[in-house]
Amino acid sequence: MNDLTSKQPLSRSTHGAGSMMDNEKLIAESPDLRTTAKIKRETITAVGVFGLTILLIFLSRFVSPALGGWDQVNTVLVLACFLIVVSFGQGIVILIGGLDLSIPALITLSGVLTASWIGVSGDGSWYLFPLIMVICGGIGAVSGIGIVVLNIPPFIMTMATGIIVASSALGFTGGSPRGGASPLLLGLMKGNVMGIPWIILFILFFCVVGVLIQSRTTFGRRLMAIGSNLNAAVLAGIPTGNYIISAYITSAMSAGFAGFMLVGYANGATLRMGDGYLLSSIAAVVVGGSSILGGRGSFVSTIGGTLLLTTLGLVISALGVPQGWKTVIEGCTILFALLLLREDLISFFSRPKSRK
Amino acid sequence: MAQAPASAEPSAPENGLLRRLFSSGTGVIALIYVVLYVLFALWDHSALTSGTVVNLANNAAPLAIAAAGETMVVLARGFDLSVAGVISLTNVIMAAYPMEGPDGAAISLLICLAVGGMVGLVNGYLVSVLKLQSIAATLATMIICQGLALVILDAPGGTVSDFVADQLTDVVIGVVPVAGLIILVIVAVWLVFQRTAMGIALYTVGSDEVSAQLSGISVSSTRFIGFVSAGMLYGLAGFMLSAQTATGNPNGGASFLMLTFAAVALGGTSLSGGRGSVVGSILGAGTLMLLQKVLFAGGVSSFYTGIFQGTVLVIAVVFGGLITRLSERRGAR
Amino acid sequence: MNASIAPRLLAYDMAKSYGATVALEDVSLQLVPGQIHALLGENGAGKSTLVKILSGVTRANRGAMQIEGHPYNPASILDAREAGVATAFQELSLPPNLMVSQALLLPNLRKGPFGLVSQSSCDQAASEILKKYRISDLSPRDEISQLTLAQRQRLEIARAMSHATSLLILDEPTAALTDVNWLFSLVREQTAAGLSVLYISHRLAEVRELCSSATVLRNGRSVADVDLSIASDADIFRMMVGRSEGSVRPAAINNISEMPITLELDHLKGSKLKGVSLKLRKGEILGVAGLEGQGQRELFRALVGLEIINSGTIKVNGVETELKSPRSALEAGLAFIPEERKVDGIFPSLSTAGNVVLPILSRLSKSGLIWPSQENKSASVKAESVELSFRYLDFLISDLSGGNQQKALLARALITEAPTLLLYDPTRGVDVGTKEAIYAAIRAYAENGGAVLLYSSELPELVRLADRCVVIYGGKVFSEFSGDEIQEESLVAALTGHRGDQSVAHNRSVA
Repeated sequence: MNDLTSKQPLSRSTHGAGSMMDNEKLIAESPDLRTTAKIKRETITAVGVFGLTILLIFLSRFVSPALGGWDQVNTVLVLACFLIVVSFGQGIVILIGGLDLSIPALITLSGVLTASWIGVSGDGSWYLFPLIMVICGGIGAVSGIGIVVLNIPPFIMTMATGIIVASSALGFTGGSPRGGASPLLLGLMKGNVMGIPWIILFILFFCVVGVLIQSRTTFGRRLMAIGSNLNAAVLAGIPTGNYIISAYITSAMSAGFAGFMLVGYANGATLRMGDGYLLSSIAAVVVGGSSILGGRGSFVSTIGGTLLLTTLGLVISALGVPQGWKTVIEGCTILFALLLLREDLISFFSRPKSRK
Repeated sequence: MAQAPASAEPSAPENGLLRRLFSSGTGVIALIYVVLYVLFALWDHSALTSGTVVNLANNAAPLAIAAAGETMVVLARGFDLSVAGVISLTNVIMAAYPMEGPDGAAISLLICLAVGGMVGLVNGYLVSVLKLQSIAATLATMIICQGLALVILDAPGGTVSDFVADQLTDVVIGVVPVAGLIILVIVAVWLVFQRTAMGIALYTVGSDEVSAQLSGISVSSTRFIGFVSAGMLYGLAGFMLSAQTATGNPNGGASFLMLTFAAVALGGTSLSGGRGSVVGSILGAGTLMLLQKVLFAGGVSSFYTGIFQGTVLVIAVVFGGLITRLSERRGAR
Repeated sequence: MNASIAPRLLAYDMAKSYGATVALEDVSLQLVPGQIHALLGENGAGKSTLVKILSGVTRANRGAMQIEGHPYNPASILDAREAGVATAFQELSLPPNLMVSQALLLPNLRKGPFGLVSQSSCDQAASEILKKYRISDLSPRDEISQLTLAQRQRLEIARAMSHATSLLILDEPTAALTDVNWLFSLVREQTAAGLSVLYISHRLAEVRELCSSATVLRNGRSVADVDLSIASDADIFRMMVGRSEGSVRPAAINNISEMPITLELDHLKGSKLKGVSLKLRKGEILGVAGLEGQGQRELFRALVGLEIINSGTIKVNGVETELKSPRSALEAGLAFIPEERKVDGIFPSLSTAGNVVLPILSRLSKSGLIWPSQENKSASVKAESVELSFRYLDFLISDLSGGNQQKALLARALITEAPTLLLYDPTRGVDVGTKEAIYAAIRAYAENGGAVLLYSSELPELVRLADRCVVIYGGKVFSEFSGDEIQEESLVAALTGHRGDQSVAHNRSVA
């Protein structure tokens, strides 16, 4: 029909009803058939990441008979719990299009304060734990205020906060942190109830609450809107400043809580205890499929990313691979995940099949 | 004859240079550096001796060169986290495979540049061709480089060749530190590069990628060149770090991650691209390292250096942002 | 078709999809040397995609192109230029950080010794280009960011002309031009020398003046090739839309003056506002007309707290109110739909339903949690009132056409149940079918007692919708029209500051 050589100018007459009818028919035959498709991107990536993890656990049976069973699942969950808590906070900040570089310093600060103030005796736990959380939250608020009020880019602001907090922790401990874990923390991290470790129950609870907060509350939805389009969020009447600051407070408090957990697990604090968690939390969020630019992602996929990375780390350790190669493989995993989740690949697969 | 443009403000050339300096942030950081040095001289009377100057140059050189490299990526709107990985990697290569004498040093340098350049190539490919987000892609390459460094040297140790460790931290013509010379060479190359078509393209891509592309600039080639030159500079930074520490540390690059970005931001380069300069970043690095010395001279415990560095960073960014907005408003229509 | 003149450009069977979105389905186009050919079609019909393909910005998924019989398949702007094809883009493509000379000469900046860019050679080359295209108010060292929109448009056109040796593509070139004849004379000179021009514009009068023929696109297909000397406006409209245009003015609502005043502005002064006063009543659609930069944008922004007000008052329902932010405006009952939906309106990574229900999220959640089914249910109620098909609610809003996105934004404004709507160019870039749906929704809203402040850059739209219409000129309300006084001719006169007598010649019953 659109063969150029046979095309004739269509509008010959303007008044004859007959020619109009021909035109009408031709024109009416061009309805808007262009369609768009539903891409449930989140579902695909979440299923993919979890599936990969399960596959890995299953395959690791071939690596060593000690692996591949429920024991390994147990180990993975326990080891991953710190990263899950931290990644929740980092994920919330990434969701609004930011990044929290102060997480390692906050973990360290919280750990150092917990070991020192609460210590092995556990005296004053009832007000000291909340106090440490408030301190962490306050630092997060400072970061948020710098970002919102002073227009400092999140990368810089959280970096600065991190450097300041790390330095403070250094000064506070004079270079050698003291103290240990209180019975409460030890119980949480190492104790069981009916054969199931407390920490696993806690983590499951945390995961459920975290997913609901990020995806199913007004808070989470509005954060996602802010990350999706800040201008539009302002114009739609969302108090963006408050929400952005809340996101950084959430991240800081997650880091603080992870500090508690780490003290309980290692029965003490070190000045480097937060170090690995910055890049790991970013990696977990990215591997899970959330966009580094914000506006899209669910905690479910971040959990998946965490589990995948932790499992991978376990399997590689079991292989007896030295630390260096382990790190290389971690990096390659992230790269692999990034390559698979590229926009253009997903678009390619969702292109409509050619008609007629 | 061309008539005056419709904009309200006449574009007078006299205040052009000053305005450009300050709106690009270089002027601000230069001012901060001078002020800081004055403070330093007040508290430490050896501040103006050549020994101290050489010491400062040696200390600041690795960070300054790394920041120069990072600027090449940030200007075109991107983040390069692999700086930490390349520095660690080249440092351990220097320490694990030392090559003696000036020839050995030259070969080592080439190896460092090549390693950095290859990482830059990979980054460039991931970002420009495969269209990954730069922060995510360079995170991955950084971790891989970090891992390779650990494979080569799993604990701090090894020795860097004497020639490198001695000569590169030494002076030439009596008072000029070699490290300082190297930085000057980089500045000179940069000033030339700014005036090439590729230099202009770099700024343009960072300023508005879409209009750059529609104007015929190859955005991917420009970014590629940015990443490769950044990588090579990181390699050089690792080389200079090896000269300074004379030993290898597989985690030696870790602290560079934050400090490099701090230096870039301090130097007035906008993290969203299109504005800034390598000179500013180098001055920013110098300021951060000088700050450490000033605090020490002032009797502040080294524990608290971080607090000052962080605060200075925030103040510099806020101040720089204010200046930019003021100069934009004065010149805008 | 005269077989002895070989086509300058031949394109057939073109198809292009962006992921799941089909932009072009079956497009064919042909130009001969020296021809000025128009490309007509509503936004969303596929014009910009076709322009991108012809310009080398993107590649088609199917189809082929030829220039002078040779295959033409550019992978970049430079490839296109090599074939002699250059484009003046609708979204001006001049990098803001550059100087005029650099922008004109990119990527072939004139070099001096050592391969460094020689500013003086660039200036000289640029001066020649400026002179050739009769641009006398720009100098080579001017910064692009300092130029006015009109100057940038001329520069964009000059740049394209300097590179186009076989085909010049002009995409909405007169949108910001003050002197259209400058463009027309240049185009005629060049086509007389053999250049072909593809002219894209929605200003039919201009198209008729300049072009001899046109291709009409609709829904991604080329539905007609038209001889402009024969086809009437009504014919063209029908080809673009598929049905006849409605044009009846709404019946005048007689008792508006008795309705309570919902929004009153008294001598509002700001940076561009020089004392705006107006009253908006319940049930009224108050139109705002104005040329670019007369203050209408600042007026709307002031109403949502994004523009500083130095003096004057705003009264909402008789109560003096300070509108400090979009949030406080919403709380005061003013819902705003901004001009640029992509930049300021939609949340691209959320679903359509998610976009629509955003303002009432807290109301949706029982037990603090929100489920997709609740979102869809609330959204579908409003979607119906804007004729937004339900099946779009689950889609990512970024997958929707511009018109559907705009409907979703309108639904979002309606869902707030705000008594006043502030609409800034609500049908910009929207296809005609959707426009009708939006008009119907606005009218229904007003009939139910809502008040509407409506700015539109399209006068026929104001003629159709507005009960009263004010013209903004020089930061003030310059004149006011009500009911049947609202006619295109009188509006046009007022826009440029002329207060003639308002007797109207009804020479256009069809818009």
